[in-house]
Amino acid sequence: MKRGWLYVVSLWVLLMAAGCSNGEQSTSGTSGEPVELMVSAAASLTDALEEMKASFEDEHPEITLTFNFASSGKLVQQIEQGAPSDVFLSASPKDMDKLQEEKLIDEATRVDFTANELVLIAEKDSSLMVDLFEDIDPAAIDHFAIGEPESVPVGRYTKEVLEHLNLWEPLQSKIVLGSDVRQVLTHVEMGNADLGVVYSSDAKISDQVKVLASANPEWHGPIVYPGAVVADSKHSEEAKAFLTFLTSEKGKEILNQFGFQ
Amino acid sequence: MLEVHIKKELAHFAMDVHLQATDEILVLVGPSGSGKTTILNVIAGLDNPDEGSVRLNDQHYFQGKGKSLPPQKRDVGYLFQDYALFPHMTVQKNIYYGIKDKKDKAAIVRIEQLVDVLGIGHLTAKYPHQISGGEKQRVALARALATEPAVLLLDEPLSALDRETRLECQDELLRIHQMWKIPFIIVTHDMDEAEKLGDTLLFLKKGIVDKVMQNKVPVHL
Amino acid sequence: MQTTDYTPLILSLKVAGISTVIVFIAGAFFAHLFARKQFFGKSILESLFLLPLVLPPTVVGFGLLILFGKKGWIGSWLLEWFDVQVVFTWIGAVIASIVVSFPLMYQSASAAFQNLDARLENAARTMGASEWKVFRTITFPLAWPGLLAGLVLSFARGLGEFGATLMLAGYIPGKTDTIPMAIYFAVESGNMEKATFWVVMIVALGFSTILWLNWWSRRSVQRYRNEQL
Repeated sequence: MKRGWLYVVSLWVLLMAAGCSNGEQSTSGTSGEPVELMVSAAASLTDALEEMKASFEDEHPEITLTFNFASSGKLVQQIEQGAPSDVFLSASPKDMDKLQEEKLIDEATRVDFTANELVLIAEKDSSLMVDLFEDIDPAAIDHFAIGEPESVPVGRYTKEVLEHLNLWEPLQSKIVLGSDVRQVLTHVEMGNADLGVVYSSDAKISDQVKVLASANPEWHGPIVYPGAVVADSKHSEEAKAFLTFLTSEKGKEILNQFGFQ
Repeated sequence: MLEVHIKKELAHFAMDVHLQATDEILVLVGPSGSGKTTILNVIAGLDNPDEGSVRLNDQHYFQGKGKSLPPQKRDVGYLFQDYALFPHMTVQKNIYYGIKDKKDKAAIVRIEQLVDVLGIGHLTAKYPHQISGGEKQRVALARALATEPAVLLLDEPLSALDRETRLECQDELLRIHQMWKIPFIIVTHDMDEAEKLGDTLLFLKKGIVDKVMQNKVPVHL
Repeated sequence: MQTTDYTPLILSLKVAGISTVIVFIAGAFFAHLFARKQFFGKSILESLFLLPLVLPPTVVGFGLLILFGKKGWIGSWLLEWFDVQVVFTWIGAVIASIVVSFPLMYQSASAAFQNLDARLENAARTMGASEWKVFRTITFPLAWPGLLAGLVLSFARGLGEFGATLMLAGYIPGKTDTIPMAIYFAVESGNMEKATFWVVMIVALGFSTILWLNWWSRRSVQRYRNEQL
């Protein structure tokens, strides 16, 4: 039994060691030589960016893209702490504004490269008859999953929509808050929440849910994705090239494929 | 009369032992690992042989696989090596542990007499870790006899004691046996002790009875 | 500071308390059952018991969702027969807490029972004590220091449980917001004042439980110091 413990402990130590050793990234190199571009991106962009990597690297053979995915808020903290990063792709203007105020991004390069919309989703076999946000009947559902409004951008937008429609108060006792948009999706996918609100890009990648309605963009603040070159970047030219690619026809096409607009 | 026949496959050898004891002191002598404690455990019902039988007078304790009386139902007292006194109970509680009805007059009289004979009356409120080795041995003896067993097993009862105390306790064991008149089966690896205590000596070697001595005279098997 | 809502404290104590009672009984039961037995598949079963210790909390949480979700194997059954919903309720928090703290209790109890001198139990048996009396008067009191360590560790672990709880119980203010959840969301939303308050609270709770355990076990070790156990 004692040996079993030892085994478990050493396994754990090994895992910890492995986890710590992959944080470092080389940022050296001059133009012409191979460049590794570190892109800190909002987690909701994961699939679209992975798809984009190959096309971009075909066009720019000297550049290798490396992604660091996390919530926009976490990425802001990382960049503030000086984590190596060349491009910041945020899911909310608020987080980008914060870095801009602290002069940690190159203001001139800031661009809203895509947008998203809020959709009402249900499990794919759900029998709920709801075609519009306005039709949500608090009495007809047990649980309504949304992002936590104070900390998760999608939650903040959802709250704005529900308040606009005077549904926020009536839904209070039904609301389950997720720590990120994927958790909201999981709650609906597994049928534990009857309804949920996520980005259309999230609804698109799940075949376990169906979209019941889209929110009118006028009901909430603009859901745009701003990107910018990080002020400390040693590869600002390559970073700009990547932002240009994002807003090009090719980039837009890939983003559309994944539910962005 | 206790009659024991044990056949049992052990880690390093196969045990095959026959023994009988009337109201005498039977001593099992042999090097460590010769199977002495196993024999006591089988008699007490803490271990079972592969084949054989254990019988005390007309009571069958063991008659083959599946026909074994649990230790609780056997009329056996057992004094363990190092005594196995319950460390969280006082001497008093240790001795009375096996008495089901704490108001049983006969039991109280019997135990008080036993405590008296063993001279441990002043220890009853103490915990095992507060008393000496010789005192522990006496408490363990009182505890094993408190339930009025029909046979008493003693596993290396004196090996933890210094020489002087050991001699004292040997005399005491003989005295108690005189009073009690039941079979005592004592396990020891000390030849002098075996000769002093035993009416019958069984020499054990790798699970087999190698030699028997009765009243200091070798007996042919 | 705004008027503090103490629900997280009360909820955390309730969840950790109930889960500890269940884990204590179940952990001690299985540890005692397995302590002196060898059987086929024992080590597989024991590894399974310890698995939640090495798995990431989100994996445990996801597994629990599969079992206890409205459409899960156990969840649908509970809902149909007992009208009990686990997911998004404080019961879910209790279940998450049970699963992550069980390994600690089992491990401590196992060690406690195995370190016990089998002769003490056998001595009681030869004096006619039934198996239940042996457990009640010998095994349990002598294993108590180890069992208590497991109990306190389980309580502390249950108090700090976050990942799996968030998945299974969801975050519903006033209903399933335990202290770790209150801390997480306060930090995420930049409410450092609230976060600090709950951090101080949970540190004080956890620290005092463990401190008490250390003090108590030193005392009980001294009590049996001279006895070979």
